[in-house]
Amino acid sequence: MKIEEKLRILADAAKYDVSCASSGSDRGTTAGGIGNGHKSGICHSWSADGRCISLLKVLLSNACVYDCCYCINRRSNNRERATFTPVEVAELTINFYLRNYIEGLFLSSAVYSSADATMADMIEVCRLLREKHQFNGYIHLKVIPGASRELVNKAGILADRLSVNIELPSESSLLRLAPQKTKISIFTPMQQIGESFQGHRLERKRGKKSLRFCPAGQSTQLIVGASQENDLQILNLSAGLYKKMHLKRVYYSAYMAVNTDPSLPVPVGGPPLMREHRLYQADWLLRFYRFQAHEILTDAAPNLDERIDPKAAWALRNYELFPLDINRASYEELLRVPGIGVISARRIVQTRRVTTIRLEDLTKIGLVLKRAKYFISLNGRKVVQAPYSFKQVVEAMHTIEKPKNQRPRQSPQLRLF
Amino acid sequence: MPTQITYLHDGSFEGMLTAVAIAVKSNNEVEGIYPSQHYASSLFTDVHNVQTDQSQAMRFFKYLQSLKGIAASLAIDGFLSENDEMATHLYCMVRESLQYGESVLYWHTHDSVNFLHKLSRKVRREAHRFNGLVRFRILEDGLQYAPFEPDYNVIGYCAQHFRKRLANYSWVLHDVRRNQALYWDGSSCQSIYIDEGFSSQVRTSGELPQKHLCQSEIHYQRLWNYFHEAIAIKERRNPLLQRQYMPSRYWKYLPEIS
Repeated sequence: MKIEEKLRILADAAKYDVSCASSGSDRGTTAGGIGNGHKSGICHSWSADGRCISLLKVLLSNACVYDCCYCINRRSNNRERATFTPVEVAELTINFYLRNYIEGLFLSSAVYSSADATMADMIEVCRLLREKHQFNGYIHLKVIPGASRELVNKAGILADRLSVNIELPSESSLLRLAPQKTKISIFTPMQQIGESFQGHRLERKRGKKSLRFCPAGQSTQLIVGASQENDLQILNLSAGLYKKMHLKRVYYSAYMAVNTDPSLPVPVGGPPLMREHRLYQADWLLRFYRFQAHEILTDAAPNLDERIDPKAAWALRNYELFPLDINRASYEELLRVPGIGVISARRIVQTRRVTTIRLEDLTKIGLVLKRAKYFISLNGRKVVQAPYSFKQVVEAMHTIEKPKNQRPRQSPQLRLF
Repeated sequence: MPTQITYLHDGSFEGMLTAVAIAVKSNNEVEGIYPSQHYASSLFTDVHNVQTDQSQAMRFFKYLQSLKGIAASLAIDGFLSENDEMATHLYCMVRESLQYGESVLYWHTHDSVNFLHKLSRKVRREAHRFNGLVRFRILEDGLQYAPFEPDYNVIGYCAQHFRKRLANYSWVLHDVRRNQALYWDGSSCQSIYIDEGFSSQVRTSGELPQKHLCQSEIHYQRLWNYFHEAIAIKERRNPLLQRQYMPSRYWKYLPEIS
């Protein structure tokens, strides 16, 4: 099979992996080597679905022995199958990297023999890149559930980021939809990576010369909408992963019906993109806005409202805390105001050291006034002068969201009829 | 009544710094500080043409660097943005910092500070974008050549990035719009002249003539094309979003879009 064919098949098979991050590694260039890591990551292109491309995202093989219901590469599907050799992947990566098409490699694979044999081949690709080509660019390696401890350890030393896909938010769903994968086979490597990552980092902090163990940390991915879990369960899971396993990212992927299987739901109206979007917003609240999962959702209302973003929803539920005074509120309090983000909160704090903030200054700071105006005051004075009721605020926060969702997706060319 | 004075400089970075330094020192009321090329004089202003003074410029730059580090980069980014108003705003910011102290550098609601921060963000953002969007073509002799057309003068920032990343290779970054080029030979970076005929050819076609490219170049461009197409999920097609992140003015030199 020609390399063109293989690339087409194996990139197509890898496209459902969401992760595109290339951040977190500060590997330097070595003498005679090629490439370096970039702390904040770099996007190199954007595909027709608007997702960024920063890594050469391919599977090593799509000839899977597993039969997971939701997966396009399941054994029982009749599909073209292909397998790269490690040398081919390394050559492709280096040549794309030299031309600045990519920031590095994202390598995943179907399990084509045992978990260990597959993992060993993936590690061989990394070894070729790091040792033969002296490649210091980014490598994101998927860990195959059930891979042995030694292999995971080897992978962590060669790669910048490791990820084990959690696939589904609960053990029972896993049992039903991905019978060959078990909770234990997923969580064991995850825990090992988390501990090693933390251990090596602490050692380096204490000034010991320890090897870097996946310097960009680990991430995971789960499918939303293929099983019955509610958003609260998913968020609790994510919060636990961030705290206990030291994960950098949890990716959510809206379930897309690529297979027909009696145990799978039939999605109405395409993949649940809005739910995915709201989950990401909630995830951001966990990671950057110092929210706890139980603040965003409760057992009484365990699902995110698709009509309104979770931060605005929280503010409406806790309306008695507002308005907050822009000139007095602490950074943490400012982060809770709808329309104020991490950057504008920081700017407010910086500006207050020089001067008090006036009404006409608010937009210069970059906060979104149409969201924030009901929740803030300036030196004791409300921003919206006319009296308004709680009901009007609720209504306003809902209408703000609307226009963007209804934006037409046709070409902007003039239409006569 | 003190007259308002307009200072004009020669358009170089040192010239701009000299003009701002002189304006800050004088007690005159400053109407504005502009590059002389872009200035149309009017009847009622008092115009001073500033002679560029290297040592004064350097002294002023050192002073900016001493202000918590950020002021110097605001000046550099402002200059790279090629915005004619930036020198006037730099002057205002420095005057304020002399009066109120260094914290004015983060006075985000001050018009001049806000202006300079915004410019800096734009320049940095474009430099960062091009760190990803620059595409090297490998020529027959192994030299890597990348044409691009940035809105701001970010070629220096990009060169800083690639001299680390591709330190052991030789490459040329070519700003086709300004016809500036930087050449890295594996140990040092220098400005080179690329002849106008070649530049205009690249500018019109967006690609190099095939005879200059190395043999495998087309092969890898095609592979990259295949990859780019295969990685998109059809069910989530969203060209508006694609263009939002990667505006079409950047598409010209991208082999994946053709």
